[in-house]
Amino acid sequence: MVAEKESESESETPLIPRARPKPRPIVQLGIFLISHSLLFSKHRLVSFCSVVFSTAGVLALLLLPVLAKNTYISENALMPGSVAPMLSNQEVAEANRLVKDLTSLNSKPLASAIGSQRLISQYMSNLGAEVSHHKFHPQLNQFHPLHFFSSPDSGRVEQNISCALHGVNTVGIIRAPRGDGKEAIVLVTPFNSVKLNQNEALSLAIAYSVFSLLTRVPWLAKDVIWLVADSQFGEYSGVAAWLRDYHTPVFSGLGTLDAEMCPESNNIYGLNENLSTKRTIYDGFKRAGTMAAALVIKVADRSEQYEDSLSIYAEASNGQMPNLDLINIVNYLAVHRQGLRVKVEKFWPLLGLKWLKTLGEIFESLGHLARSVNPQWKFGIPAADYIEGSATLASSLYYQALGVPTGPHGAFRDYQVDAITLEIFPKVSSLDNKVRKNDFLLRSGRLIEGVIRSVNNLLEKFHQSFFLYLLTSPGKFVSVGVYMIAFALLVAPLPMVAASLYVDASNSDYSLKIDKPAPFANASDEPCITLKSWKWLFAAKKVFFVHLWGSVVSLLPYFICQIPSCTPTTSFIIWVFLSILSLVVMYIVLASPSSHANESQPQRGEWAILKSVTLSAAFIGLCLMSVINFASAEIGGLLMVPMCLMAHPLKLDVKARSIRTVSRVVYNLVLGFIGFPPIAFIVLKGAFEGFSGVNVGDFWSWVESLWAWNSATYLYIGMVYLPCWVLCIHILFHRC
Amino acid sequence: MEVKEEQSTKRKKQKQGRFWTWVAASVLFRLILIYFPKNLNLSSRPEVSTPLTSLRRLAEGYWLKQSSMSPYAGSMYHGSPLLLSLLGPLTVKRIEGQPSHLLCSLVFVVADILNAMVIRATGQTLQVAYRQSLKSLDLDTISESMEVLSSGDIAALVYLWNPFTIVACVGLSTSPIENLAIILALYGACKRMVPLAAFGWVMATHLSLYPMILIIPIILLLGYGPDTPRKLLLMRRCGKVEDNSSSDSCQQQEKVINQSDLPKVFAWGPPMLFLLWAIMWSVYVLLLCGISVKQYGGLWEMFERMYGFILTVQDLSPNIGVLWYFFAEVFDFFRNFFLIVFHMNILFMIFPLAIRLKHRPCFLAFVYITISSMLKSYPSVGDSALYFGLLGWFVNELSEMQFSFCLFSVYVGVSLLSPVMHNLWIWRGTGNANFYFATAITYACLQMVLVVESVSAMLNHDRKLKKLTNAKLQNGKS
Repeated sequence: MVAEKESESESETPLIPRARPKPRPIVQLGIFLISHSLLFSKHRLVSFCSVVFSTAGVLALLLLPVLAKNTYISENALMPGSVAPMLSNQEVAEANRLVKDLTSLNSKPLASAIGSQRLISQYMSNLGAEVSHHKFHPQLNQFHPLHFFSSPDSGRVEQNISCALHGVNTVGIIRAPRGDGKEAIVLVTPFNSVKLNQNEALSLAIAYSVFSLLTRVPWLAKDVIWLVADSQFGEYSGVAAWLRDYHTPVFSGLGTLDAEMCPESNNIYGLNENLSTKRTIYDGFKRAGTMAAALVIKVADRSEQYEDSLSIYAEASNGQMPNLDLINIVNYLAVHRQGLRVKVEKFWPLLGLKWLKTLGEIFESLGHLARSVNPQWKFGIPAADYIEGSATLASSLYYQALGVPTGPHGAFRDYQVDAITLEIFPKVSSLDNKVRKNDFLLRSGRLIEGVIRSVNNLLEKFHQSFFLYLLTSPGKFVSVGVYMIAFALLVAPLPMVAASLYVDASNSDYSLKIDKPAPFANASDEPCITLKSWKWLFAAKKVFFVHLWGSVVSLLPYFICQIPSCTPTTSFIIWVFLSILSLVVMYIVLASPSSHANESQPQRGEWAILKSVTLSAAFIGLCLMSVINFASAEIGGLLMVPMCLMAHPLKLDVKARSIRTVSRVVYNLVLGFIGFPPIAFIVLKGAFEGFSGVNVGDFWSWVESLWAWNSATYLYIGMVYLPCWVLCIHILFHRC
Repeated sequence: MEVKEEQSTKRKKQKQGRFWTWVAASVLFRLILIYFPKNLNLSSRPEVSTPLTSLRRLAEGYWLKQSSMSPYAGSMYHGSPLLLSLLGPLTVKRIEGQPSHLLCSLVFVVADILNAMVIRATGQTLQVAYRQSLKSLDLDTISESMEVLSSGDIAALVYLWNPFTIVACVGLSTSPIENLAIILALYGACKRMVPLAAFGWVMATHLSLYPMILIIPIILLLGYGPDTPRKLLLMRRCGKVEDNSSSDSCQQQEKVINQSDLPKVFAWGPPMLFLLWAIMWSVYVLLLCGISVKQYGGLWEMFERMYGFILTVQDLSPNIGVLWYFFAEVFDFFRNFFLIVFHMNILFMIFPLAIRLKHRPCFLAFVYITISSMLKSYPSVGDSALYFGLLGWFVNELSEMQFSFCLFSVYVGVSLLSPVMHNLWIWRGTGNANFYFATAITYACLQMVLVVESVSAMLNHDRKLKKLTNAKLQNGKS
């Protein structure tokens, strides 16, 4: 290759003197383009570029389902499905006995929560596992402003725990015969001991069958922990409490902190005296090693029409995802070994959209075209796949953007443990028929066994595959390298326009200054020290104070929460009122001196500099958010970028009175109206769910759920989005 | 006339009042932040506490010393033994119901305020010198418009309200004290207090080694006097005129120049005195250190554990510098070679800069501090806080600095992005070291751009002054 190139260049060099008079077509084209772009004003070029980039960004986002790649198992050590499953009907029969005992216990009139806990622990200890109980108090969801910045360990806030409320997790641990006890795999089954239902009993049965198999297998190299999480306060809180105590050992006292706070009045376990076999049921906290992976097993109460299917939930807090390899193994084993249909969550309203269908058809025909040109190009997917993919992508984006975990697996991600929730949907008739039920248990149990066996093979923690991805179907994903392009294209106009505005503003000012002293120009008079380069400081000050106001607004709910008996609507109204009040107070206290200083020398380009500072602040905020939580940055960018880019003082536009400016005024007003966060929320909600039941209080409850889960999206809305919106409105109504 | 003067004095008073309220507000802000140390967790941030400046390590060293072991045992403490005996007792003293390390935090707050005051005093001296030199160049018009900005106040406020300074102060790092030593040295040199300058320089060198290169600006300061536009300007003014006019006018000028009390030649007295004092102070400091580490390893262990630790980059835990990543990657047999290369990097830049900027020794000191904080083995935000404060001194000269807005935005962006990347790598496990190192590289580049831009702005300013004086002379001639 190199030699060829060299020879080519050698052969060309003598040609150049002859060819000089006639430049090559590409060069000609370049010269043409440059000369013509110079004909436009620079400003127009920048605005043209920004429009091109933003549309390219949106288009690239729509293209993502087409660009999705097939998943593959990246870590060689996993070797899923290389061994025949060992789970047999014997284990299933044992599991069935457990279910029968549980239901019979529950059907008794004096069924107690302790009874079923005791039954499960007895079953566990009969298998030879170490059993312990973990008592926890549910943490009330409260707004802790500093939670956002602290690591999970320091998150333990002493609060008034009502001692009457507590849940009990049952934990069974199998020590691995071939391991050193430094690593563990966790199985979680949420289980409401107060009110048992059939699905939870089935999920217990699946876990129990696997667990009983694992006590006997020789190959186990990692300890297996089976956590029967008490779900009477929600599935998440029990798991989170157990994980918190697992990772924060208390060295000094006896028992955990929570237990110390509430004096033990009655021995709720009451297990020790009743056990004839002196097996270890231990009151303290039992631990195994660091967790390699965790599986949450659930059996859905709805059932599928045609076949058994499996739904995977992976989103943890702040849009974090488990390693893609974990999903890959589950998907591979479920599809290729157990014949389950795997689904991920879809955004249903998108499925019926007309324009999406046409878009899909366009992409499909483009793909056909590409393939007819060159059969090597594998571009384009069928339109139906495209619609499915984009619906899945939309839901993936939505749940990541919310930052609220989609299941108990979310608690694991805070401790860097990869975890997913497997929700298994049995076929309609299968639960009545005993044979079908056994078959269902066998297949799901074998799936779990296969996954555990794969994870058991792992030498290091999951690291090979992706952590940052979006799913478009269980077998297809878009990696960070691809979706970042869409985002980068979308936000690229922000710094461009900011720079061009800034340069324009400072240059125009400079030319004014040169023009003015021209009549009595004297070389020595002209260059008095102007702080030309630092003129942006005033605008930066303004932007800074608006962002400060934004953080004050996002802290306000902390105080509003304390008001007793408030409906969401009244809380929301109080919030808006207080925010406006604080804005006015801040304006009077802080901004007035600077505005006086500005009045003494009104500047024409002031709004331009303000806009350029706003744009850079928005850019920094969006980039930051894209690292913390990509999805919310992408959705926020879609709303924010057009609003910020188009902001232009209305006064100037109204004065000009051309079609272009009038349309810009209308556009700006509409965007400014829609951009206000509560209105944007209501419009989006109405568009997908219908406007009938929409209420302003909904926004409050939505935001409440965000901060209760420490979602960074809340901070983004309060400290980036809202200030930028206010600044855009300020620019719109700027008196210039 | 009198009314005008009255007005100006009134305005000055008002400005003074505003300055002091801002200073008080900054102190209050720090005190409020000190009450949330647990929640903010600043003292364990890699940006704030390096192995050299962390107070937790100092407490460990003190504990070792109390249990009659060498404070340098293990590899926890790498600071000075003097700091240990100064701050050590404060780390163990607790007041009931107050956050731990309250006394140390108060010491750092006091150090910060002291820093700001010394910066202010130095800035005022510099401004007086600048105005005088402008007057001697007959450019009074400029100095009139300059009344608006008193660079000393601005520098002090920039230092106090810089988020980096606040974070370093509240995050319990010892960098305010190191900065105090450096600023004292510059202050002493500006005010011509030779013993103070020598003390500051010796202490700064003792505490963090890198300020050793400040000996050049300090000697220049003592020799030439505080920042003045190029003395050569006066000579050249004479020379330029000589080109197109008769020689005796030049001689006349020369006489004027000779009469003016500006010292044009390098005065050898103060620098020699400085060296003498520096030797005395360093002997004294070494004596004190020797006494305090006598029972353990002696002075040699101290040198090895302090300066050896700085020069051989033994601790590779991530920080905002660039060396940790490089030395984590490099093969062991190349390590010594690259250690030499990286440290020579700083030394290589010293002499060219000294030659080009010798007429502005204070600015030269700023450039040196910036460069060393960029290429340091364990940089922290406390170093950036220092050079931003010093940048405030040259507000008038750098008023036409280019890319100021761009630099500011990138600084804000990087300083927000870097903790997020660290979180992504260490706590969430979804990123890796490259993510964090990318922000470190950006930060280093940013500092480089800052140095380049500020130096070119300064040189442009000098050029402009030269042009103005030439024009004036020509006007006067014609």
